[in-house]
Amino acid sequence: MTINMEIFQQFAEQLPHLGEHAQPPQMTDAARVETARETFVRKLDGRMAVDLESCIHCGHCASACHFYVGTEDPKYAPIRKLDLLKRVYRRELSPLRWLHRLYTDDITVKDLQEWQELVYDSCTECGRCSMVCPMGINIAGMVNVMRQGMARAGMMPAELMAMEQEQGGHDSLFGVGPEQMKGAIAKLQEAGVDIPLDKHEADVLVTTSVIDIILFTDGLIATARIMNHLGLNWTLRSDGYEAANFGLLSGCERVQKIASEKIVLAARACGAKTVIIPECGHAYPSMRWEAANEHGGKLPFEVLAISEFLGREVKAGRLKLNTLGRDRKVTYHDPCKLARHSGTIEEPRWVLDALGVDFREVDSGRELNWCCGGGAGVFLINSASELRQQAFQVKIKQVEKTGADSVVTACGSCRLNFMNGSMRSNWDKGIESLVELVAEALPTH
Amino acid sequence: MKEEKTLAERLRERGVTRRGFMKFCAATASMMALSPAMIPRVAAALQQAKRPSVIWLSFQECTGCTESLTRSHAPTIEGLIFDHISLDYHHTLQAAAGDHAEHARDEAMQENWGKYLLVVDGSIPLKDDGIYSTIAGITNLAMLKEVAAGAAAIISVGTCAAFGGLPMARPNPTGAVPVSEIIKDKPIVNVPGCPPIPVVISGVLAHFLMFGRLPELDALNRPKVFFGQSIHDRCYRRPFYDRGQFAETFDDEGARKGWCLFKLGCKGPITYNACATAKWNEGTSFPIEAGHGCIGCSEPGFWDKGGFYDALSKGTYGSAEGIALAAGVGAAIGVAAALGSRSRQAKADRKEEV
Amino acid sequence: MTLLDFARGPALEWSLIIFVAGSLWRLVGALLVRRKRDLSEPRSRSTVAGGIRTVFSRMFPRKEFHSKTLFAVIAGYVLHFGLAITVFLFTPHILFIDGLLGISWPGIPNNLVMFAGVVTIATLVALLIRRMTTPLLKKISSADDYISWVMTLLPVLTGMMAYAHIGGPYQTVLAIHILTVEAMLIWFPFGKLFHAVLWIPSRAQMGAAMQRRGVKA
Repeated sequence: MTINMEIFQQFAEQLPHLGEHAQPPQMTDAARVETARETFVRKLDGRMAVDLESCIHCGHCASACHFYVGTEDPKYAPIRKLDLLKRVYRRELSPLRWLHRLYTDDITVKDLQEWQELVYDSCTECGRCSMVCPMGINIAGMVNVMRQGMARAGMMPAELMAMEQEQGGHDSLFGVGPEQMKGAIAKLQEAGVDIPLDKHEADVLVTTSVIDIILFTDGLIATARIMNHLGLNWTLRSDGYEAANFGLLSGCERVQKIASEKIVLAARACGAKTVIIPECGHAYPSMRWEAANEHGGKLPFEVLAISEFLGREVKAGRLKLNTLGRDRKVTYHDPCKLARHSGTIEEPRWVLDALGVDFREVDSGRELNWCCGGGAGVFLINSASELRQQAFQVKIKQVEKTGADSVVTACGSCRLNFMNGSMRSNWDKGIESLVELVAEALPTH
Repeated sequence: MKEEKTLAERLRERGVTRRGFMKFCAATASMMALSPAMIPRVAAALQQAKRPSVIWLSFQECTGCTESLTRSHAPTIEGLIFDHISLDYHHTLQAAAGDHAEHARDEAMQENWGKYLLVVDGSIPLKDDGIYSTIAGITNLAMLKEVAAGAAAIISVGTCAAFGGLPMARPNPTGAVPVSEIIKDKPIVNVPGCPPIPVVISGVLAHFLMFGRLPELDALNRPKVFFGQSIHDRCYRRPFYDRGQFAETFDDEGARKGWCLFKLGCKGPITYNACATAKWNEGTSFPIEAGHGCIGCSEPGFWDKGGFYDALSKGTYGSAEGIALAAGVGAAIGVAAALGSRSRQAKADRKEEV
Repeated sequence: MTLLDFARGPALEWSLIIFVAGSLWRLVGALLVRRKRDLSEPRSRSTVAGGIRTVFSRMFPRKEFHSKTLFAVIAGYVLHFGLAITVFLFTPHILFIDGLLGISWPGIPNNLVMFAGVVTIATLVALLIRRMTTPLLKKISSADDYISWVMTLLPVLTGMMAYAHIGGPYQTVLAIHILTVEAMLIWFPFGKLFHAVLWIPSRAQMGAAMQRRGVKA
C-alpha cells in the first residue's frame, strides 16, 4: 500500500491549527447551563434512567478503559463521565427527584468546562466499559448524550467544532467538498481506475470519506476494483459520498442529520438497495443504527460496512481470492464501532481466512477488543495528544503479544491513530487495511 | 395473739429432725446461690425465725397461684414454712367469712402495723372507679391502698399481680394494672409466673424470714436468684437448638426425640424463670420437658406477644393485605412520577421547537 | 410496650410498608421514563433471549477482564453468599419469612450460620478498607456507599451478638437487631442497595440492545 506521506505530513502539520477555524457561539453562562440541561432532559430515556439508577460504584469500568489503564488516573473512571447527566436526571426525571433535589446540586458552567476533557479528550465512546459492568450500564451511549448537551452549550473542543461547522455549513471536510471530490475522482479515472460517478441508477451506492479521498486513496481504489470485479451495478455520488459524520462525533444533532440525510437522498435518487460504508468508524453506526431514527422511518436500503460486505461475498462464494501466503503474520484490530457496537465480527475473519495469511487473534479481541484510542474524534483533539499516546501503549502490547508483523484493521480512524501512535513510539509493526489486502488478492483476469 | 414459737420449734414438733432441717437449709442456700459457708447462718436464722404476720389479698385472679403453692402430694418443708407464717387473712384458705373475716384483717393490721408482709395475687381493675372487682363492697384499689399503707413489704405473687397478667391482655376491658402501678412507696418483690413455681415463693419467704429483707432484684423487681437466667440458657434441649434440630409438629419424629420446640412457639429465649432448673412438682418436669414450648408466663404482657404456637421470630405486625396495599400505592406513585417526568420532557421538547 | 414489642410490631409493619412501597415507586418510576422505538433494521430479533442471557452472563466477568477484577468479584460473592446463608438458612429467619409469606425451606445448623456470619463481617470490613484506600474507588464513592455499608453490617453484627448473648440483655440486643434490619429495609429503596432489584432490568436491557446489534453481551 502506498500512502501519500507528503499528504500525511501536511495533515499532521495542519492538525494543531484545526481549532482555529472554529466559530464558538456567543452564549452567556446561564444560557449554556440551561441549554445543556434541557438537552439532557430531552435525550434521557427509560433505558438511561434504569442505567443511571443502577451504578454500584464498583470501579470495574475503569479497569476496562484504555485511558484509565494507560494513566492510572481515577478521574478517568468511565462512570464519572456521566456525572452531570446523572445529576440532571436525578433532579428532573428520577422518580425520587423530590428526595434527590435536597442534596444533588444543579450543573454549573464550571462543571461543563471540567467535564469537557472527560467526555471528549478521554473517551472514544468505545463501549468496552459496558462489557465488564456488572449492571450492564451503557456508558458510551450516555457519553454521547453528554456530548449532545455540551455541543448545544457551545462547549465542545474547538477541533471538533471546526469540523462539524465545516460539514454542516460548507458541506466539506478539510476543504474537500463535492467539487473537490469530483476533481479527485476525475483524476483517478484519468489514471485508469474505473470509478463510476453520479450514475442515475445503481444497485449499490458506495460512500467514501475525506480521509480516503486525500490520504488512503488506495482504499478507495481497492474498493472500486473489488466492486468492478464482482460485476456490480455500483456508483459514487457527489451529492452523497461523505460517510464521516462529525455531527454524530461531536454531539451536534443538527449536523448529524444533515450529513446522513445526504446519503439517504443520494441512495433514493439512484434507487440503490445497498449502501456501502467505507473503512471509517462512526460512519457505520451513523447510517446503520442512527439514520433510520433521525429520518423517522426504516431505511429503504441495506447498510453494509465494506468489511461486512466483503466477508459476506467471500462466505457466499461470490468473491474468490488468491492467498497472500502464510509467511504474512497478521493480527486483526476490531474497530469498536464495527465490532462491539455493530456485530461485524466474523465477516472480516472470513476474509482473513480466505486470504490464507498466518492470522493470530489478540488476547482480548472481537467484542472485547481494546480501543485504538483515537476514535470519536479524539484523534483530532490536540489537548488529548498525550492521553492518546499513553492509551495506545495498551494496544502496542496487545499486538506485540501475538507475534504478528502487522495489524490489519477496517477503520480509517483506527488506521490513522495506529500510524500516529506508531510514529511517536517508534513502533515497527505494519498497519494494513482490510479492503486494500483484498484488492491485493483479487485474481486478475 | 398466739404465743410465738420459732420455726425450729414448730418443725421439731412436726417430726422434722435436725439433720432433715440442715438438709433443707443446704438446699435452700444452694438454690439461692449462697455459698456453703452460709448454711450455718441460714440454719441459725431460720431457727430463730418468728412468725411474721402475713396478709394475703386476692384480687382479679384465678386462684392458680394459691393452688400452686398449696398443692402438695406430700408435706414438704416449703409447706411447713408456709405454715410457719401467720397467715392472718386469705380468702381461699381461711375458715372465716364475711364481717368476721374483714374484722380479722383489721385486727392483724393494727397489731402489726409497719411489720406485716402483704402478699397480693391478681391484678387490680381501675376502669369505672374499680367497680369490676370488690370484696365486701370495697374495691380492690381501695383495699390495696389501705393495707399497703402499713405493710413492711409487698410480694406480688403471680404474673397478674406482678405485671397485670391475663386481665390486662388486649383489650383490657377492666383497666387492669399490676400492684406496682398503684403502690409506689413500699418495697415490692415481683414473683411472676402463671403460676409461679412453689419453691420460688417459699424461697423468697425464706429469705425474708432469714435476713429480714427481700432478696436482690432485677430491673423488673424479680428475685435475680430465680429470674436471672432465661429458660433458653438453662434448657436441656439447647444443643438441639444449636444444631438446628427442631420439632415441626407435636407428634413428629423430632418431637418424639425431644428436639427443640422453637418452631412450635417456645418463648424460652425471652423468658426468665427457674423452670428449667428447679422445675415443677418437686423437680419432676417442666413444660418443655413435657413436650410443650414455654409460653413465657413470667414475662410482662406474655398474652400479647404473638401466638403461643407462633415461633418467636414471627413478627407481630399488621396484615399481608396492608403490605399488598403498600405495593399498590408504591406502584401508583411510581406511575405518577413517570407521568411527571414525561411532562417535564415534553416541556423541554416544546422549548426546543421554539 | 417494650423495645422488643416495638421492634416486632409497629416498627416491622411500617418498615415493610416503606420497603415495598418505596421499591415499587422507584422501579416503576424508572422503567416508565419515556423510550423511543428503534426504527433501524435489527441484526437479530431474539432480543428477549439476549436480555435473559446477559442477566446471567454478567454474574461473572469474562476472562479477559479477570486480571483486574477478580478480587472484587470473588470478595463480592463471598459477601453475598455469606449474607444469603445468614439471612435465608438460619431457622429463626426462615420461620419469620414463613410467617410473612407462608413459604419455608430447611435451615442449616446454627454454628455453620455463625461461621458464615463471621466471614460476611470480615469481608465487609475488607471491602470497606479497600474502598477507602484505593484511589479509584475513593474518587467514585459517595455517602450512599458508606451508608449502605453500615446498613448491611449492622444487622449481621447485631444478629451475631444476639445469638452469642453479648452486648447486653438478650431481649434488648434482639430488639436492636430487629431494628437494624428494619432500618435497612427502610433504606433499601433509596440507596445503592436497590441494585438487588435493578440488576435484572439493567442487565436485561443491555443484553437485549446488544443482541439487536448482533453482539453477545
